Amino acid sequence: METSFAITGKGYVIVAADTTSARSIVKMKIDEDKIKTLSPHLLMAYSGEPGDTIQFAEYVERNIRLYQIRNLYPLRPSAAASWIRRALAESLRSRKPYSVNLLLGGYDTASHDPHLYWIDYLGTMTAVPFAAHGYGSYFALSLLDRYHNPEATLEEGLATLKRCIDEVAKRLVVSPGKYKVKVVDQDGIREVEL
Amino acid sequence: MARRYDSRTTIFSPEGRLYQIEYAMEAISHAGTVLGVLAKDGVVLAAEKKVTGKLLDLSSAKDGGYGGSGEKIYLLNSNVIGGVAGLTADANSLINFARTAAQRHLLTYNEDIPVELLAQRLCDMKQGYTQFGGLRPFGVSLLYAGYDPHYHFQLYHSDPSGNYSGWKATCIGANNGTAQSLLKQEYKDDIEVKDAIGLVLRTMSKTMDSTTLGSEKLEFAVLTLDEVTKQPKAKIYKPAEINALLLAEGLMKKDEDTEMKAA
Amino acid sequence: MSRSYDRALTVFSPDGHLFQVEYALEAVRKGTCAVGVRGKDVVVLGVEKKSVLQLQDPRTVRKVVMLDDHVCLAFAGLTADGRVLIDKARIECQSHRLTVEDPVTVEYITRHIAGIQQRYTQSGGVRPFGISTLIVGFDPHDTKPRLYQTEPSGIYSAWKANAIGRSSKTVREFLEKNHKDDLSREESIKLTVKSLLEVVQTGAKNIEISVMESYGKVTNLALSEIEAIVSEIEREKEAEAERKRSRLAATAAGQAAMSQRAAERQGSGE
Repeated sequence: METSFAITGKGYVIVAADTTSARSIVKMKIDEDKIKTLSPHLLMAYSGEPGDTIQFAEYVERNIRLYQIRNLYPLRPSAAASWIRRALAESLRSRKPYSVNLLLGGYDTASHDPHLYWIDYLGTMTAVPFAAHGYGSYFALSLLDRYHNPEATLEEGLATLKRCIDEVAKRLVVSPGKYKVKVVDQDGIREVEL
Repeated sequence: MARRYDSRTTIFSPEGRLYQIEYAMEAISHAGTVLGVLAKDGVVLAAEKKVTGKLLDLSSAKDGGYGGSGEKIYLLNSNVIGGVAGLTADANSLINFARTAAQRHLLTYNEDIPVELLAQRLCDMKQGYTQFGGLRPFGVSLLYAGYDPHYHFQLYHSDPSGNYSGWKATCIGANNGTAQSLLKQEYKDDIEVKDAIGLVLRTMSKTMDSTTLGSEKLEFAVLTLDEVTKQPKAKIYKPAEINALLLAEGLMKKDEDTEMKAA
Repeated sequence: MSRSYDRALTVFSPDGHLFQVEYALEAVRKGTCAVGVRGKDVVVLGVEKKSVLQLQDPRTVRKVVMLDDHVCLAFAGLTADGRVLIDKARIECQSHRLTVEDPVTVEYITRHIAGIQQRYTQSGGVRPFGISTLIVGFDPHDTKPRLYQTEPSGIYSAWKANAIGRSSKTVREFLEKNHKDDLSREESIKLTVKSLLEVVQTGAKNIEISVMESYGKVTNLALSEIEAIVSEIEREKEAEAERKRSRLAATAAGQAAMSQRAAERQGSGE
């Protein structure tokens, strides 16, 4: 089942999402990228109703890009998160709400610190040091309570992520096979191999 | 309704000019002066008040509010103060619009509106009033003094055409030419707020038509960063504070008649 | 409301003119000059930049703007009109990406902008946009540089090289004389600067150059680079003038010698 994690550390945010695209009990695809790059320092992992996710992610992507082209600087992570939350909250009160859960990780180039936001399809948003969506979160959150360190280096952060992924692989009946992992820090966004 | 479009205010003249805009600008060049100076650690705004009178009740003046003393300088948002020159009634409606725009941004993005964006919002509206039929342009120029994390302290000027530009120090309204050239001579790139305050007051005292200079003629505001919270802090001076400031700078000018009478 | 059309500001005059559109073009002719030159695999935009006043912030004076990653626009005319039109175009660029997943082609966005400009010549109660634009860019998955122009009337057209704004006629004639097909990057930039120098007397500090080399690759030349090109052009002009002078001197000397010889011959003939 769909699972995504995000962990902040010293000057970075790691965002990881599984790459499985499933319909009912059938895996349709195992190399789906569910993390969108919204701006040079902003990542969004999305999960939820297939179709809704892509539709909403692209809508967000284009609007965030428009803001950057209009103003010559991108939205700061907190502002982007507020805008996205509002978009979801408005959608919830429309005839056909999007059913999408998000993890938004970004590096604020004005204040030089990492930001992570947990957002769900009801328009709930909280700034958190680490976060997870999906069944994986039941196993990962307690692990992260124990092992998360806001001052951790990137290597340590990735090691903590590995613990979460391994735990989910060990205990969850329907654990996803592969994950895509991306990191955002002051140099921008890059993909890393675990 | 049929006559809704018959006003031909905003059309091109054969030379490609928009006279209504030029006339609006002309109106502004007679309005009370507004002067702004951008410093390293803040922005300073001062304005010359035109509506004065012995019986004018200023006791209900609020910080950056309408009415009372607030004729020229307003708080547009917690990080932006605006100074207006031109038709006061037009200015009121623009300020209302600016405040709404700033709050709308706060609602959507949960951050203070970037200063340039606020200027742009107003300018888009001003531009609209020069292009759509039946409307005359706004007879108002504004100075925006503000702070945001992108470009830190900033000073912008916008005019009735819907143009805007950023400045280190500028002036609108009556005698703006004289003030501009004074500023050009005296402005230094790394000026600090405390020196900028002096520069603004000196320039104002030299350019204002009146023989007196005191709180009944002057509005004054400074935007700095709060030392503790590092958040922008706008301070619109109260009449007594302005008088104290003028005294400190040695610029208080009393009416000669009153002085003679007193002597 | 049904009669609003007959109150349109832009209506035909008895002899078939749309005066407001023509007057809007006058506003464009008052604007600063902008030049676009298409080379072999590069397209260059050059604009005349008004001197920034001493106390003005140069960041806020923008004549060349990006519409999307791969499309660049320069305009001449009323700045406020320009800003509003640019905003509409930027929205369309992103909206197009959202609906069809592809970036806009340069022609598409040109057509869109021209369409907006046309609407403002025909609908009730509005005046036309007082701007002309030059739009440059590369289409997605394509290596051919593009250059288009739009006008207040809503006309749009593709060009190898063109100019808008102040003295654009002089510049266009200059470009017609000097433009060749398949210019290299350096030649395109030089031609742009050279043509701008036809109207900009004050040299490099009042010129801004943007170069687009391929999809999404845009560079703005630094002042020093433009200065170097300007001085190179001046040197060439100097050399050319020198050559002309020496040639003139040579012909003059030749003529003098000839007339002297003729005189001598006459003298000896006597």
